[in-house]
Amino acid sequence: MLALTLMVCAAFAGLGYRLVDLQVLRHDELAKLAQDNTQREIRQAPRRGDILDARGNLLATSVPVKTVCADPSLIGNQQALVAQALAPLLQMPEGEIYPKLFPRVSKNEKGETVTNNLHYARLKKNVSEETWQKIQLAMSRMSFGVDETKLAKTNRQFFNNLRQSAVFAEPDQMRVYPNGSLAAQVIGFPGVEEFKLDGRPISQISGHGGVELSLNSSLSGVAGWRVTATDSKQRELVALRDEDVQPRDGLNVVLTIDAAIQHILESELADAMKEHDPVSITGIVTRPRTGEILAMASLPDFDPNNPGAAPPEALRNRVISDVMEPGSTFKTIVVSGALNEHVVSLNDVIFCENGLFYYGGIPLQDAEHDHFGNLTVEQILEKSSNIGASKIGIKLQAPKLYDYMTRFGLGAQTGIPLPDESSAQNFVRPPDKWGKYSLAQIPMGQGVAVTRLQMVMAVGAIANGGVLMRPMLVKRLQDRDGKVVQQYEPQTVRRVISDETAKEMVKALKTVVSDEGTAPLARMANYVVAGKTGTAQKVVNGTYSKDKFVITFIGFFPANDPQICISIVMDAPKEGGHAFGGALCGPVFKDVADRCASYLNIPPDSPATLMASGGAHSTPTQLQ
Amino acid sequence: MAGNRKSQSAAIRFGPALKAAFLCLLIAGSAIGYVWQKNEIYRLSQQIRQAELRLKQMTDSNEKLRVKLADLRSPLMLDQRARELNLGLAPAQPMQVWRLPEPSAAPPENHALARQLAARQAGAPLTQ
Repeated sequence: MLALTLMVCAAFAGLGYRLVDLQVLRHDELAKLAQDNTQREIRQAPRRGDILDARGNLLATSVPVKTVCADPSLIGNQQALVAQALAPLLQMPEGEIYPKLFPRVSKNEKGETVTNNLHYARLKKNVSEETWQKIQLAMSRMSFGVDETKLAKTNRQFFNNLRQSAVFAEPDQMRVYPNGSLAAQVIGFPGVEEFKLDGRPISQISGHGGVELSLNSSLSGVAGWRVTATDSKQRELVALRDEDVQPRDGLNVVLTIDAAIQHILESELADAMKEHDPVSITGIVTRPRTGEILAMASLPDFDPNNPGAAPPEALRNRVISDVMEPGSTFKTIVVSGALNEHVVSLNDVIFCENGLFYYGGIPLQDAEHDHFGNLTVEQILEKSSNIGASKIGIKLQAPKLYDYMTRFGLGAQTGIPLPDESSAQNFVRPPDKWGKYSLAQIPMGQGVAVTRLQMVMAVGAIANGGVLMRPMLVKRLQDRDGKVVQQYEPQTVRRVISDETAKEMVKALKTVVSDEGTAPLARMANYVVAGKTGTAQKVVNGTYSKDKFVITFIGFFPANDPQICISIVMDAPKEGGHAFGGALCGPVFKDVADRCASYLNIPPDSPATLMASGGAHSTPTQLQ
Repeated sequence: MAGNRKSQSAAIRFGPALKAAFLCLLIAGSAIGYVWQKNEIYRLSQQIRQAELRLKQMTDSNEKLRVKLADLRSPLMLDQRARELNLGLAPAQPMQVWRLPEPSAAPPENHALARQLAARQAGAPLTQ
């Protein structure tokens, strides 16, 4: 009896010790284990913001997808069957899936052995919800060739776990560009940033190029988190949810780009590309009054839904990143400066040396068949005389010429919110670094280089009464409900020339599209156009090529109340030495301008059109 | 002196029993209430979970429909469809567009209303 009593006491003492051991001595350790078994901290990824055009059309958005993963520790030796079931659904070869289904031990950056790969293997990203449902169905119906009813409970449990939990999905998002290649270089394309959180790889979309990159922080948003408990099947127990901080979604970016105008520009550029086969062709459509960029395109381009398929040069936004000699379009800056300084007037006559002029011992020539004698300043622009422009530049003198170059924004970044903008600073040098030939060479657009955007903004300043505007690409940032978070307004950079000078320049530039000018093909039927052609020799191996040209037309309309300014630039069209800005870029300008005018419903200002409509655009009485 | 227990009234004997019954009811009620509350918490948390899942599904579906709509409204798509359907669509020429003058910002003077207001000030009824 005593022995029995002692045994019972010893048993109670043993149990008591175990109780104290579990509840007191090892409390912290076991509590943490218990917590790890049930408590989960879940990262809640923010939704990346959309990119919209000026009219609210989606240019870039994010759609929910799944990342399909596997837990190799639950697969046992059934890798082959699982790979066979998943391969057709994931559209991956079985051989690629199979090795991922084995538990692996890896080393982290510190050289420590980690066992996360025992439980986690990523099989495929960007899987649609429909495909994931098919995978779930396929897994739940998997048969392993054994009669499971005759198996022991633990073995039955293994097969159940395999079916239900061995393959799982994580929520993810995929960037989608519904308009394909439209404005691809402006919008940019997505990349994936990977980092580890609690040993698990987390991927998030980041921007590469274009607005996706320059406004990445606004688009990205801020992740939230949830601390909660889960049951044995990893289902959340909502009642035990502890912390729940919702993610802050990325802001939507509304651009000044108009998708319809962008399409007009790109389709016309594509036609010209087909016809003239240049290395590249670019176009910009702006509103000179505000500096808004309505369209900006560079061909060849790429589809941001599949940027890897495009050659690297197609990813580049040549409008802002490439520098080129502006050729005769630069004469607009020289003549503007000279008129503004009252060095010349439009009616002053300048002798153009019958096409050959020596300056600093070096011959300057007009275009091949041009042997101009006396020309007025207006005619120098109309006929694009190199010698005339050089003589005007010489009259203006180097310091003033350089001053006007910089005041028109050349040699400095325009400030457009896009990455990789070149300033062309090294190509717009101060006069103390000029050669003795430079003063005559620069006014004709040689020995100086600009970006296409700088040049269109400079011509836009003339259209805008002499005021240079900062290019505006982003209209506003707004949240998902459309509430405006930040509104951007047009920004004036500086007044470059007086209003009177700008009016004189417009008058002179109107003559460029006349029958006597260099760009009659740029003339529009219903609008008065002002513009300037440019045909610049390309520098190949350090010398000016005789058969490779960069040709340009920059124009605006209606000339007396400019609404739209358009630049078209072709790099080395197949016409070679017979390529001229007015002949090749002029018609492209006209086609783009005609379609834009119709789309934007710009009132015509051509005297012929006004006469034909009886001056009648129109009053209510005339409607009756 | 001890009293005779037989002479005590029945009401006094039922007192402790009532107290005990009340205590039992209280404990049982609390227990049932606790279980009911736990059950409600579970039920509501399930409802929250279902509602969250439904919201997620609807949000995802909305996203997909937005992309679909954007596809359909894409200028490229519209241009292609217009060509395919061969409807003979062309941009309107400026001559085909009638432009109406913009209404002035200031409201036009409403002489009739002014007359009526003047009449009311003079004591006459206001009519429309």
